[in-house]
Amino acid sequence: MTQQLEKQFVSLLDENQNIIHKVCRVYTNNADAHKDLFQEVTIQLWKAYPKFRGDSKFSTWMYRVALNTAITIYRKSKRQIKTSDISDFHYRLESSDYDATMDEQIQLLYKAIHQLSDVEKALILLYLEDKPYKEIAETMGLTEVNARVKVNRIKGKLKTILNP
Amino acid sequence: MDELDKLKGAWKNQDYSKHKVSTNDIYKMLHMKSSSYVKWIFYISIIELGLGFLISSISYFTDSHKDSMELFKELGVYSYYIVAIVISTTVVLYFIYKFYQMFKRIEVSDSVKNLMKTILKTRKIVKQYIYFNLGFAFILIEVTLSFGMIQSYLKIAIDKGEINPVIPLKAYIIGGVLTILIGLIIIGIFWGIYQLLYGILLRRLNKNYKELKQLDK
Repeated sequence: MTQQLEKQFVSLLDENQNIIHKVCRVYTNNADAHKDLFQEVTIQLWKAYPKFRGDSKFSTWMYRVALNTAITIYRKSKRQIKTSDISDFHYRLESSDYDATMDEQIQLLYKAIHQLSDVEKALILLYLEDKPYKEIAETMGLTEVNARVKVNRIKGKLKTILNP
Repeated sequence: MDELDKLKGAWKNQDYSKHKVSTNDIYKMLHMKSSSYVKWIFYISIIELGLGFLISSISYFTDSHKDSMELFKELGVYSYYIVAIVISTTVVLYFIYKFYQMFKRIEVSDSVKNLMKTILKTRKIVKQYIYFNLGFAFILIEVTLSFGMIQSYLKIAIDKGEINPVIPLKAYIIGGVLTILIGLIIIGIFWGIYQLLYGILLRRLNKNYKELKQLDK
C-alpha cells in the first residue's frame, strides 16, 4: 500500500518537479541551498500527501506546500544527499524557441526577484506562472482584490529594478 | 501588454531538464529527516512545557521539600500549598492540551497566511504558559523572601535580648521594597532571556506575517 502510494507520489512529483525548481530558484541563490530546499519541499510534500484529497490540482497543491516550506517551514541545514550535479542554475530557454535576449532577460528577472521580500517573491512567482488572481489569493490567504493590488505594485517595483 | 507579461511565456519555457532530480533521488529524499522549523518549534515547546513539571517533580524528592512541608504545616498554610499545587497542575495540563490541539492544526498545505497564523498561535500558548510560570515564580519568591526576612529580623532581635520584638513600619517598608526588587530582577532576567530566544526563533515568521496582514488591510 505504502509502496504504491510512494510510486504514485514520485511519479506525480517527477512530472511537476519544475514547480519546486522554480520556487527553489526564487528563494535561494546558490546550488547547495537550492538542493537543500528541494529536499525539504519534497519531504514536506510527501508528509502531506496522504491528506491530499484531489480537491485541487496536484500542481496547485504543490505550489502551496512548496511556498509554505520556502517561506515558513524551511530551516537551512547542512544535510545533503548526492544528486546529479546542480551547480549551474542558469536554465536556458527551451531550444525550440530559444531567444538570447529573452534568456538574458529571464536571468535579470531572477536577479530582480531576489531583491524582493519573501511574500513578494511568492506573489510574483504565482503571477509569472499565470495563475488566476483567485488562486493567488487563496494560496496566499489574501482577498482577491488585495492580491491584485499587491501584484501590480510588485510589478512596478520589478520594472524599476529592471530599468533603473 | 507590459514588459513582465511578455516575459511570462519565456518564464514558462525555462528548461530545467539538465538539472532534473532523478526518480531514484526523489525516493531517497522521501526517507530523509526533515529539518523543518515546525519540528523545532515542537521540540522547544515540549521542553518549555516539560521543564516546569520536571523541576517540581525533582524538588518533590529533595530534603528541602520535606522541610518546607513541615514548615508549612507548622504555620498552618499547608492547605493553601495544596490548593496552589492543584491550580498550577491544572493550568499546566490545560496548556499542554491547548498546545496539542493547536499544534495538530498546523498544515503545510494551508494558505501561507493561515499557516503562519497557526504557528504563531501555537507559540502564543507556550508563551502564555511561560508568563504564567514566571508570575507563579514571582509570587513564590515574594512569599519566601518576606517570610525569610521576618524570621531573620525576629531571630536577631531575640538574640539581642528583646522579649516581644515588634517589627517597625520602616523595616516593613524597606523589606517590602527589597523583596519586590529582588523578585523583579530574578524574573526580569528570565523574561529577558526568554524574549531573546523567542525573538530569534520567530523573527522571520513575525516579519512575514506582519507583511501579509498589512496587505489584507
